[in-house]
Amino acid sequence: MKTTNPQHRVLALLSVPVFLFLVIPTAIVVPVALNDSRYITFPPEGFSLAAVAGFFGDKAWTSALTASLQSAGIAVVIGVLLGSTAAIGLHGRKFPGRSAVMGLILAPMIVPTVVLALAFYQFFISIGMVGSILPIGLAHAVIATPYVYLTTRAALAGLNPALVRSAQSLGAGPLSVLRHVYLPIILPGLISGALFAFSVSIDETVMSLFMQSPGATTLPVKMFTDIQFNLTPKIAVSSALLVSVATIGLLLQVMFVLRRRSTARMLPLAVSAQS
Amino acid sequence: MTAATLTVRPQGRRAPGEENPKVRRRLSGWWLLLAPILVFDVVLFLTPLGKLVASSFADNAYQRVLEDPLVLRSLVNTLSISLASTIVTVVLGYVIALVLWRAGNVTRVILFAVVLLPFWTGILVKNFAWAVLLQDNGIVNAFLQGIGLTNAPIELLHNRFAVIIGMVHCLLPYAVFPIFSSLTAIDDRLGLAARSLGAREGSVFRRITLPLSAAGISAAGLLVFIISTGFFITPVVMGGPGDMMIANQIDYYARQLTDFSGAAALAVVLTVMVSIMVAVYQRVLKAGGQHEDN
Repeated sequence: MKTTNPQHRVLALLSVPVFLFLVIPTAIVVPVALNDSRYITFPPEGFSLAAVAGFFGDKAWTSALTASLQSAGIAVVIGVLLGSTAAIGLHGRKFPGRSAVMGLILAPMIVPTVVLALAFYQFFISIGMVGSILPIGLAHAVIATPYVYLTTRAALAGLNPALVRSAQSLGAGPLSVLRHVYLPIILPGLISGALFAFSVSIDETVMSLFMQSPGATTLPVKMFTDIQFNLTPKIAVSSALLVSVATIGLLLQVMFVLRRRSTARMLPLAVSAQS
Repeated sequence: MTAATLTVRPQGRRAPGEENPKVRRRLSGWWLLLAPILVFDVVLFLTPLGKLVASSFADNAYQRVLEDPLVLRSLVNTLSISLASTIVTVVLGYVIALVLWRAGNVTRVILFAVVLLPFWTGILVKNFAWAVLLQDNGIVNAFLQGIGLTNAPIELLHNRFAVIIGMVHCLLPYAVFPIFSSLTAIDDRLGLAARSLGAREGSVFRRITLPLSAAGISAAGLLVFIISTGFFITPVVMGGPGDMMIANQIDYYARQLTDFSGAAALAVVLTVMVSIMVAVYQRVLKAGGQHEDN
């Protein structure tokens, strides 16, 4: 419905500041990172790549970037494997305890991240797994897996069970059914789930903060530590990198929303993604 | 993996999910697909949480933390900051949802992207950007001085106002979606009928749109409040010493005081609070006809 009558125009006008409130903070990050100044200012005073060069020349920041990419890699691989097999395993099956299994799969989204951070912190110390990126990647995998499960489940909703049946009646073995029937259908869901998992891990701060060690400090942890003392150009460059990741994720998601409306509906489920 | 891992359906019409005892016997291996996630979640999710709960019962921890005036203060902070953020978020989210609802297709996609951008952006990036905007020589202070509201920079950061701004910015997408989906469920003919009977826009909104989107509003409010109670980063980056919330208190107990049983007791208190609210939230969703599993 088009906004034709005056009340709708008032609404549109009222909403302009709200949309600006939403978009301005994200929009200023890249210009601030490319600012020609030793201080953090907005609007920028000129264009310069000095801060970017400074970021990539600083061992502390580049190793934080590496640590973040490693933990995201672990989270994506585990999330995709576990989330997709779970969605296929639960697809169209009823059995006693089904809702308990689903509840367990989704539960990591509901527990506040600070609680998980404390639990993982104690747990990994108690089994002696400290000082590396592995426990951080595993912790990220725990909260990333439900996202992959949800996106894969949404993709599977369009699967006609008759397809599986006919493939099997034509002699397809289980691996062949997975490869030729399930995989093509879940692929969009897997890609969007992998993106969610990557984004969840690369932005996660609290668990990484609790489990940090000199060799395993992620980008958000480094930012969080530095930001409490000063706003520096290197924090701006790091923010700009993360905004670029976010923009790629967003563009791909908009493509999904255009193709199928179900992706947007799962967003409100993401209870624990932010804190 | 055996041939029985995957669904085998007999000939004839059968709804997906419907059981057939004959098939069930042949399907004994499909749970292999569920085994990886179950093992993973039991070992790396339930076990750490179980250990956390167990450690919270040591050293009289509950009594100790609940008698700590700092803890009580952080609980009060959590409730008041979350409540304020929730009210602002739901009001602004309602405005956005109305615009999305009334927008044409192309505009709607663009505005959806605008709403989703902060959702994809990490919380630290958003708080950093707000710190840049609100700092003493930032653009907001320059604007306030430019229009003559003040002569010297106002301290806009490191106070509760800044915490609420930062939180509302993170929370808005979560409010928009439940409200938007309750608005799209409204039958457009109701408004048309009311207008044809002479109702003005104001009364169409007050007597049709608002009551019919009430379920969306309460779902949004609960969801936003649930997320608010766990905030950790924003109070540190944008707040002052007096704005610490319960998550910060857990951190303080664990990493400053190294009082793990105390931290665990606080974590259990927070989890129980959140779980109760999640249960209520799911009730509200069901009552509103919005189902999570579709």
